Amino acid sequence: MSTTNPYTDLLPDQQQLIEKAEGWFAAQNWQPFPFQRETWIAYLQGKHGLLNAPTGSGKTYALWFPILMESLRLSGYLDPKAKKPKRGLRAIWITPLRALSQEIYQSAERIIQDLDLPLTVGIRTGDTSTQERSRQKRQMPELLITTPESLHLLLSSKNYPAVFAQCQAVVVDEWHELMGSKRGVQMELGLSRLKTIAPQLRIWGISATIGNLELAREILLGPDSPAYLNSVMVRADIQKKIHVKSLLPQTMETFPWRGHLGLHLLDDVIPIIRASKTTLLFTNTRSQCEIWFQKILEKYPEFAGEIAMHHGSINKDTRLWVEQAIRNESLKAVVCTSSLDLGVDFAPVETVIQIGGPKGVARFFQRAGRSGHRPGQDSVIYFLPTHALELVEASALHKAVEKKAVEDRTPYLMSYDVLLQYLTTLAVSDGFYPQEIWPEIQSTFCYQALDEDQWKWLLNFMVLGSQSLRSYDEYKKVEVEDDGRFKVNNKGIAMRHRFQMGTIVGDANLTVHYRRGGYIGSIEEWFISGLNPGDVFTFAGRNLEFIRVRGMKVQVRNSKKRTSKVPSWMGGRLTLSAQMSQLLREELYSARLDKEHQSPEIQALKPVFDQQRHESIIPSPEHFLMEYFETREGHHHLFYPFEGRFVHEALASLLAYRISLLRPVSFSLAFNDYGFELLCDQPVDLQEIIDNNLFTADHMLDDLQQSLNSTEMARRKFRDIAVISGLVFTGYPEKGIKMKHLQSSSQLLFDVFKDYENDNLLYTQAYRETFEHQLEEGRLRLALERIAEQALVIRNCSQPTPFSFPIITDRLREKMSSEKLADRIKKMTQKLKRR
Amino acid sequence: MSEKVIIEGEELTLHPSGALFWEKKSLLMLSDVHLGKISHFRKFGTAIPAQAVQENFILLRKLVKEFEPFQIVFLGDLFHSSLNNEWLLFEHWVAATPSELILIAGNHDIISPLRFEKIGVHFMEEWEVGPFYLTHHPTKRKGKLNICGHIHPAVVLRGSGRQSLRLPCFFLKPQQLILPALGCFTGSHSLEMGRNDRAYVLADGEVIAL
Repeated sequence: MSTTNPYTDLLPDQQQLIEKAEGWFAAQNWQPFPFQRETWIAYLQGKHGLLNAPTGSGKTYALWFPILMESLRLSGYLDPKAKKPKRGLRAIWITPLRALSQEIYQSAERIIQDLDLPLTVGIRTGDTSTQERSRQKRQMPELLITTPESLHLLLSSKNYPAVFAQCQAVVVDEWHELMGSKRGVQMELGLSRLKTIAPQLRIWGISATIGNLELAREILLGPDSPAYLNSVMVRADIQKKIHVKSLLPQTMETFPWRGHLGLHLLDDVIPIIRASKTTLLFTNTRSQCEIWFQKILEKYPEFAGEIAMHHGSINKDTRLWVEQAIRNESLKAVVCTSSLDLGVDFAPVETVIQIGGPKGVARFFQRAGRSGHRPGQDSVIYFLPTHALELVEASALHKAVEKKAVEDRTPYLMSYDVLLQYLTTLAVSDGFYPQEIWPEIQSTFCYQALDEDQWKWLLNFMVLGSQSLRSYDEYKKVEVEDDGRFKVNNKGIAMRHRFQMGTIVGDANLTVHYRRGGYIGSIEEWFISGLNPGDVFTFAGRNLEFIRVRGMKVQVRNSKKRTSKVPSWMGGRLTLSAQMSQLLREELYSARLDKEHQSPEIQALKPVFDQQRHESIIPSPEHFLMEYFETREGHHHLFYPFEGRFVHEALASLLAYRISLLRPVSFSLAFNDYGFELLCDQPVDLQEIIDNNLFTADHMLDDLQQSLNSTEMARRKFRDIAVISGLVFTGYPEKGIKMKHLQSSSQLLFDVFKDYENDNLLYTQAYRETFEHQLEEGRLRLALERIAEQALVIRNCSQPTPFSFPIITDRLREKMSSEKLADRIKKMTQKLKRR
Repeated sequence: MSEKVIIEGEELTLHPSGALFWEKKSLLMLSDVHLGKISHFRKFGTAIPAQAVQENFILLRKLVKEFEPFQIVFLGDLFHSSLNNEWLLFEHWVAATPSELILIAGNHDIISPLRFEKIGVHFMEEWEVGPFYLTHHPTKRKGKLNICGHIHPAVVLRGSGRQSLRLPCFFLKPQQLILPALGCFTGSHSLEMGRNDRAYVLADGEVIAL
């Protein structure tokens, strides 16, 4: 311990108790980090705060200690007259992943055991057994580890305020992960209630480094709230050196122009795995994870038993086993997805390999940070490109790591869907009085701009299912009782609501079982619907033969047949951040420089750049490149702003819409992080785009709004909104409860709203979310302004260029048409006849 | 714009709403209206726009006015669910409609036939009329052309430049004509076109033969 006592400002009791923490550290031969002491003191002084600390830095001890000590003090632990300390919930630790709860549980349990404290810890997540839940209901543990969803489930039970009355701390772990999603909104709402029913509450967040940390604190604590004004930001400031190494293909000539698997470089990965104790291979999708695992074993069978796989669809026991095996150092390598991004410290991991672009600097940092946890160790991360142009990204990542260019997380605003769910939750438990809840809602960051009309609309919607009462209507959900309390009295409605609480919306999932019942994992319905009995597919690293679907269960048996069928999981399409896009452009422009001014990655790309130059050009900062060529598929028009996927999606819709105003035309749109394509059954004169100034930022919003009406983007957003707000009931497959007669597709629903109630707030939310989170309006405007400064260059090519290749081969597309339906049908039937 | 076709020597009118009119007999055939579906959802706490409830009745009135049919036959799934207040709207419509009304039972029609009979809607399991055999589920009967519903048929069209369209349709097979679903909020199911099949798609108020 340092010579000056840092604790002199604390109460004598607190000083006495915190000595226990110091003693515990001394007993381990450890020394608390300055940020840990800083957090202890701030907490004990009653402050709220945000702790900025990476995984593996000892962040759990920074908060568990003061929480435990203060729990003891307040329950009368030091009072010699008190016989037994008062029991009941004192602190809640929120974690975004169930898998992390065990880790947090163990660190608290360790302190309690070592210091022999009269406190209990409990976990309450979706995995907690019914017996354990009812035991907790009778006697809550002092310390409860839970998820945002489970916290809301507690708020949906009768008499919940009594449970939280003594609660003095809530810790929101991995807040940066929650904050950019609707789970963050859910958390804001939960906290707004806890602040009222637990007056002594201190709120602490833990966040990895993101671009907008200050905002993260404000969102967590509430803008201008007493909690925010009485809060601190503690930064762990643990500097760790990160080494980035790109795996370069031996011969660029045979390296693919497109693709996302990266198997061409499989052989290069093996020496890395051999040379280090444990290696994590991060893939971007679960199917990629399955394929890599299988291919390594196929080619290097000697690794059998030494490598494992970890992704979100594999059953929990297997995942826990893998995590434990990493700690035991019994595995050489684990192929994983973002499922291993968070939490869980794995000291033995020496090396991390990132396969394919990580699509975010923060994520790349976090993954790199999985390696070299021992003090003084550096982190090593290898980048494995899956296609040629990804080498540009690799090169940009180098720069990003040097500059620590970490992106922001964009919070959700005015999420009516989450609010409706929350209000229904309160109505399900004890009911709520609007005048009591309204100020709480307004105090959150998400709903600070909610006005009275919108609030009334939402209340009306819950009670009437519309804005006015019709005589024949039998709508029933929330009822208003005589004293003005909003309450759900129907058991069926309450049950369906509890089943469906949460803000993570996935595709319909089926569980995969052996015929005798062994559970293997879950799989998306659309994949199974394409299989016939007897077909063999790879899942969870096994070859499985499909037998049949029973209810929501897929029955399979092991198979020795080889197969190429690997289930893929939709979604998971990420975009580059603004900073990363800029770095990417700079790297690309360096293709024009001398060799000595280029990174090794850019140098390696020379054959690809030569081919690009042969057909087209490599744009400089002054140029905006457009390419045209024809293939059997139709007429391809390519554009390269290098602004990231989402901006390209918006630009593609905008441009397609503006062209479609000039004449009837139908487009199929594709986009990636580098550029976008307008595919058409007729050529579009690109000069016309220049002549008509179609890249102008004028009327951008109006045009974009118009273009949204003719694409599917808002419709897709609406899907989640419909589920979260309770408009679509998805059933609850694991419980075997089917509600077929109440299931409908959000697609149908979207159309009905469009035709009959297009001022419905949930319907308008779909469009707003598309603007704020999908199209990134702000970035789009900047992109257009940049393009306005550039010279537009048109190249007519004889064949697809290297730049165009990954885009034109993308299957996930958007549509846009201004042709009359009858004309389109005529053209299509003519094609049908020609065949 | 409707499309006229000759099937089994009889002229039939395919209406862009999905209705089929046999002028010679003044018989209007409608399938899968799914009345009561929206009200059913609302009764169980799902707030589908109540406005849409009226849409089916507006369409029914429009069809009656346009064709002035002597008879109207529903090819099943007239009512989606158990009884709810939409039944009252249906009763009003029945009372205001001079045509003779016939319902062929569908899998969703769980309301007692007696209730239908009571307000003047005849209830049947199937109906042979002229060269046609009318059912809800697609069925085969020798020497007859089966007109049915149940499927909610649609076809997917593909064109150059990765264009594709999915449209509800009348689906004509050698011995069968499947009607599209008439109701709003009903959805559809894509069918593959075989060599001897024909489809008449519903597109922006037109019926277009493929």
